Amino acid sequence: MQIEFKINGKEHNMNVPSTMRLIDLLRDELGLTGTKEGCGEGECGSCTVLMNGKAANSCLVLVPQIRGQEILTIEALEKDGQLDQLQESFIKNSAIQCGYCTPGMLMSAKALLMVNPHPTEDEIKTSIAGNLCRCTGYNKIVQAIQEAATQD
Amino acid sequence: MKKDLNYVGRTYPIHDATQKVRGSLEYLSDMKLPKMLYAKLLLSPIAHGRIIKIDTSRAEALPGVIRVFTHLNTPKKTYSRYRIIPDQEFCLEDERLLTEKVRFVGDRVAVVVAVSKEIARQAIELIQVEYEALPVLSTPEKALDDQETKIHPEGNLLHQYQLKLGEQLPLPDDCIDIETKTNTQKVHHAAMETHVCLADFDSSGKLTLWAACQGVFGVRTIVADLLELSYNKVRVIKVPMGGSFGGRQETILEPITAFLAKEVKHPVKLTLTREDTIISTMTRPATSSRIRTKVTKEGILVDCSVETIVDAGAYATSSIDNTYVMSKKICKLYRIPYYEHSGKTVYTNTPVAGGARGWGAPEIMTAIEIHMDAAAKRLSMDPVELRRQNLVHPYDFDKSSHISLGNAQVIECLEKGAEAFSWSERFTRVLDQGRFRRGVGLACAAHKNGMYGGFPEHSTMTLKMNEDGSFILNTGLHELGCGTITSITQIAAEVLDIDLSNITVLEADTEYGPYDFGSYGSRVTYICGACAFEVAKRVKEKLLECAAYSLQKPKQYLECKNGRVWVLGNEQNSISYRDIATTAKVKDNTDIVVTHTYHGTSNPGAYAVHFAEVEVDTATGRVRVLDYLAAHDIGKAINPGMVEGQIQGGVQMGIGYALYEEVKVGNDGSILSSSFKNYHVLNAPDMPTVKTLLIEQGGDEGPYGAKSIGEIAFVPVAAAIVNAVNHALGTSMSNMPLTPEKILAVLNK
Ligand code: FES
Ligand code: FES
Repeated sequence: MQIEFKINGKEHNMNVPSTMRLIDLLRDELGLTGTKEGCGEGECGSCTVLMNGKAANSCLVLVPQIRGQEILTIEALEKDGQLDQLQESFIKNSAIQCGYCTPGMLMSAKALLMVNPHPTEDEIKTSIAGNLCRCTGYNKIVQAIQEAATQD
Repeated sequence: MKKDLNYVGRTYPIHDATQKVRGSLEYLSDMKLPKMLYAKLLLSPIAHGRIIKIDTSRAEALPGVIRVFTHLNTPKKTYSRYRIIPDQEFCLEDERLLTEKVRFVGDRVAVVVAVSKEIARQAIELIQVEYEALPVLSTPEKALDDQETKIHPEGNLLHQYQLKLGEQLPLPDDCIDIETKTNTQKVHHAAMETHVCLADFDSSGKLTLWAACQGVFGVRTIVADLLELSYNKVRVIKVPMGGSFGGRQETILEPITAFLAKEVKHPVKLTLTREDTIISTMTRPATSSRIRTKVTKEGILVDCSVETIVDAGAYATSSIDNTYVMSKKICKLYRIPYYEHSGKTVYTNTPVAGGARGWGAPEIMTAIEIHMDAAAKRLSMDPVELRRQNLVHPYDFDKSSHISLGNAQVIECLEKGAEAFSWSERFTRVLDQGRFRRGVGLACAAHKNGMYGGFPEHSTMTLKMNEDGSFILNTGLHELGCGTITSITQIAAEVLDIDLSNITVLEADTEYGPYDFGSYGSRVTYICGACAFEVAKRVKEKLLECAAYSLQKPKQYLECKNGRVWVLGNEQNSISYRDIATTAKVKDNTDIVVTHTYHGTSNPGAYAVHFAEVEVDTATGRVRVLDYLAAHDIGKAINPGMVEGQIQGGVQMGIGYALYEEVKVGNDGSILSSSFKNYHVLNAPDMPTVKTLLIEQGGDEGPYGAKSIGEIAFVPVAAAIVNAVNHALGTSMSNMPLTPEKILAVLNK
């Protein structure tokens, strides 16, 4: 099928199978491999992207659903070579170990801060409840998001 | 003169943090090669049976399919996925690339190579297999009872042994007998990246494997021997990976992927789904341990006897060694005059058990720490007090390995931790009787630092200085996401007195890099870190010799500081590392480069004592962890932020181990928890804040006194949680995991 959509500010018009998942479009067709696959069934959040500002599991989204939508992936989080406050804060707080969950965590946190710039600790935890991390035990991730929020 | 430390003891982010937050780090699952083909495995849907017919014609006919392989057209040679070094003991070669007899749900039956992932997936569905079903032995008990059904020709009892340490003395009259039995379950490592492998066999006859693994040389040994290639024709390169936790210690996907690449003469990538990773790779072994002790009324352990059964699953892999190391742990923790351990390793028709964070220690420490609480209860003693009387002291002798336990500060962990946690107040609080009941629990744990005392233990590194004064350290290290590269860089930076940004540490590559056994056995900081320290020291000597020549001053009048060599007492007279290196190379015909092999000659204990407070909802059986403190004897924290991260991550995994996580196997061998929908991994809202208390007293041979952390951080967690739940409810549960159903069943009894 022929489909138009916008990814990271760039308009695309492509011909892809209608059964293709958004995650495969991103990773295999567009080379945006920052979005990771950890389960393929909406349970781990590694594949989180923003769809019109809302966090979504790109492994559960089929290509027809992105028609006319604006998709943001981890590759677009930094602006003009400047890391986002969240990215800086993850680095500073040792919130990254293997880093496989990191893009998804950052996108979920971004979705939260876009609507709620000063979240409570519980709101932060809820916003990343769908993002699994096996390395860090979440403490430093929560701390990093908190710190990024207070710096705004 | 003791120098202040400039780099060691400070928190740095993991070396590739910036790439990771950008999403630009290329993990193995992101890699693509020109002309790359995709492989997909067909896994057995039944737990035990013989393949009587297999028809691949429809799959082969599908456009885009390159080849289909089954047991009929692959080598029959057997191998062990566990073997690290040639001629290694206890590596049973009981596995084939593709099997004719399936031994568990998830056994490899066939594999398709196709031009796309999608076609490979479709082709798999077209393969028709007829099985002759055999009786399923889903537990060690069944496997030991059934004399008729043999999972492997040699029988189901894979191995057994007995160990007796110390002398059985006449017992004091007032001894009481305590007996407990603890069951621990199979769990999934749940590294966020699923298992994946990429191989290429080029026209020169060389095989290259890009491996997300814990030991490239072990991978090379197994693959080269299996495919009958010499070791110089197999190159294994460690690439970035999304976690491991022991799940990538063994060589799982590399043999089959290498074989495929060799056959089709194209790069081949094999990526597993989450479900395939859960059922078909490795699990933590399920164990059961019956412990009997004799304890005096004053709470002194006199005698301890342990019987352990380890469920190896369908293939032996590391399970014999795992059973054996379990017997070596308790004497690292407690002073016991007489200790006896017998172990059985048993094949079952269940997922394959293997290396998992802690390697036997979590299983046996959970059992002994649940037992210690049972003993304290019988004696009406405070669990802290009972342990204090029996724990090992610094420089005690390890009965099982006959070497020193080093500066073992477990009592310090216990005392400082109990104080910081306000243990006695919380423990003696009147217990709740309502719906929500709180309780506290603690557990001690011992683990090790490398493999000295049972296995060869050494590491080699080459450190070279560039003309601009920067350095490259070539190693056999594997970054699993724990911050290894950063801490090794810190150690080298400290010795060389130069900022971290001037040192590049390379990871393992069998062709271009030096030999190392790999990242397991809690050996990386203690052994490889010491190697980095030693090689940097030798390079520094060379550097000073060259500087002495340039500055015309004897070496002992010189010191290194912040990338320059200074003449002591004369701040004006100095020379930069750049000038030293360039002058050495260009004028003095000297290269500053050193290769060093470090040999481990000690193996002190690594210790932890964890404290947990839980709240049990007696209406639902759900447990919430309210508070958590982890006290660790770490010798010296090289990178305190990453150390904390290791501990917090260990606690996340350990709470899951205690309460929810289980690769559940039905009576027919089917896997009942094969996805994250029914395999519960603790998420952020359920995770408590973990406070850490680091005891840093050095005193052993690790770099700057450092000891291991990644594995020991997980070891005491489950027991601390189980003990807290038992304290809250007045129960004595020891059949993990303590799911709501099990808790309700006990409460309703
Ligand atoms: S890969 Fe999409 S949620 Fe796990
Ligand atoms: S950092 Fe490894 S999964 Fe989160």
